[in-house]
Amino acid sequence: MSKITTAVQPSRLSVFWHKWRFHINVLLLLIPLGFMPKYFSDAALFRGDAGLGEREIGEIQVGPWSLRLAELRNEAPRSDGPAGYLKAFSAALCTACVEPVKATYLRIGKPRSLRAAGVIFFGTPYRMGTQLPVPVKTPADAELWITMEGWDGSMHQASIPLSQASPATIAWLNKQGAKP
Amino acid sequence: MSKKSRSKLWFLVHSWLALPIWFFVLIVCVTGTLAVVSQEIVWLANPQMRASQPADDAPRLGYEEIITAIKTAEPLALVQRISRPDESHFALDVTLSYPDGRSLVTYVNPYTGVIQGTAPQFDFQAFTRALHGWWLVPFTNGYSWGWYLVSALSFPLLASLITGLVVYKRFWKGFFSPTLRFRHGARIFWGDFHRLSGIWSIWFIAVISITSTWFLIEAVLSDNHISISSEAIIPAMARDSVPLTADGLPPARINLDRAIEIAQQKIPGLEASDINMPFNAYSHLDIRGRGWYPLMFQSATLNPYSGDMASSRVLSDRSSLEFVTESMRPLHTGDFGGLWIKLIWFFFGLILSMMVLSGLLIWTKRTALATANALKRENKKQRANAQPLINREPSEVNL
Repeated sequence: MSKITTAVQPSRLSVFWHKWRFHINVLLLLIPLGFMPKYFSDAALFRGDAGLGEREIGEIQVGPWSLRLAELRNEAPRSDGPAGYLKAFSAALCTACVEPVKATYLRIGKPRSLRAAGVIFFGTPYRMGTQLPVPVKTPADAELWITMEGWDGSMHQASIPLSQASPATIAWLNKQGAKP
Repeated sequence: MSKKSRSKLWFLVHSWLALPIWFFVLIVCVTGTLAVVSQEIVWLANPQMRASQPADDAPRLGYEEIITAIKTAEPLALVQRISRPDESHFALDVTLSYPDGRSLVTYVNPYTGVIQGTAPQFDFQAFTRALHGWWLVPFTNGYSWGWYLVSALSFPLLASLITGLVVYKRFWKGFFSPTLRFRHGARIFWGDFHRLSGIWSIWFIAVISITSTWFLIEAVLSDNHISISSEAIIPAMARDSVPLTADGLPPARINLDRAIEIAQQKIPGLEASDINMPFNAYSHLDIRGRGWYPLMFQSATLNPYSGDMASSRVLSDRSSLEFVTESMRPLHTGDFGGLWIKLIWFFFGLILSMMVLSGLLIWTKRTALATANALKRENKKQRANAQPLINREPSEVNL
């Protein structure tokens, strides 16, 4: 008796396989289903429904003005091929700076002049973004400099430690240093 | 190999192309079909998106009047983009930036400038496109692998078209004597349906598979940082082209209607359907629209303070290669000539989806048998080579 049942089992499996082998691809539908929460959270992020970004850095005073700075994503800089690694930041200007501020810039290390203020923010004063190049050899104690330029030609600067602006970037830099 | 067994082989190849992934192919076809008319579906569901004319002779407002009307209704909101959809029954899509940091597409009546509503949080159009285009797999480093997964379907699709035409002997006769037999059982019906819709969809399947192949090539080029564009990168405005103001307030920007006039002087026949406001103080005003060739956009880039034209991109600036590659996307989506073209694309999209289903139904009834028979014949042939062929019917007759 036991011999018969063991002989039947594999053929059952093969019947099952023959019946369903061309329907297994239905499982490919699990891919979009799995990514759906990510899709909707990204859509909310880009609409601004989820705030400035995944991680708010806080309000930073820049001379008479101030801005709220955030990391768009709480993660390490992303590779952009030949352009190197870029880290996305977002910002919103204080209510009183919406009109007088002409442009806002971000740079690792102190800019020598307004012409070298770094990358400029794109967008409206209510929510703007920029991609900051982060060289692989950036020291972990580097400072992130914010430059704000007024329509009257005035210029104000402030800085915060990069470790405060983006702990994920510091963690990534430390890993880069470990590489030969 | 004999002629008959060669056609059998083609037939088997044709059958096996989509079979193991039929459900994936089906969903990609169905979502693509929906994406073609997604804008119309939202229009049907959402009355705020409709451009109702207050009176029969009410003229459309100029873009500057639209901006003024928005400023009055929402004094703090900043206009980022104005887009006039192709079909006149759609309201304008105006992207507004609000003080709380949200960027929302609003529907603005083109005759009155009234903000009729805000696009719903669930963007059906974007969702169907994302599902169809990249299977919702996020873009993290270059193109998403979902994009590759979907666009790789262009190969089985193109191969299905070619092998289909090879196994369907004298397919052009089907145009003159269309056959769709209802009373001979399901297998005959689906076989007739598959062939009839197949021959009438030759052009559509060719267009979709070739344009999808381009999407795959486009991703490969981009991920390898290879550019075929002849378009110059426009640098940000020089510091001295942007005025300073004594009172410290932003300087006045050029009137939009005047900017469009300047653009049209340089680009005759430019339909200004898309206005992108400057991204920051050193960025240009961008005006774009179609010209005589509906598949491509022309654009003008202006200094928003002085109105000086910084650059323009017209049809004649494109290389002949770009004429081909830039036409690929609109040919795929069918959004280049208004509602009727979209409806044609929608109809053939449905037919293509039905072909996947009918192909599967035929297979379940036919191909398993054909595979077994083909193997049996090979064995027989080895045993008796001189056996005469009795059945000379082309294989597809038995579908």
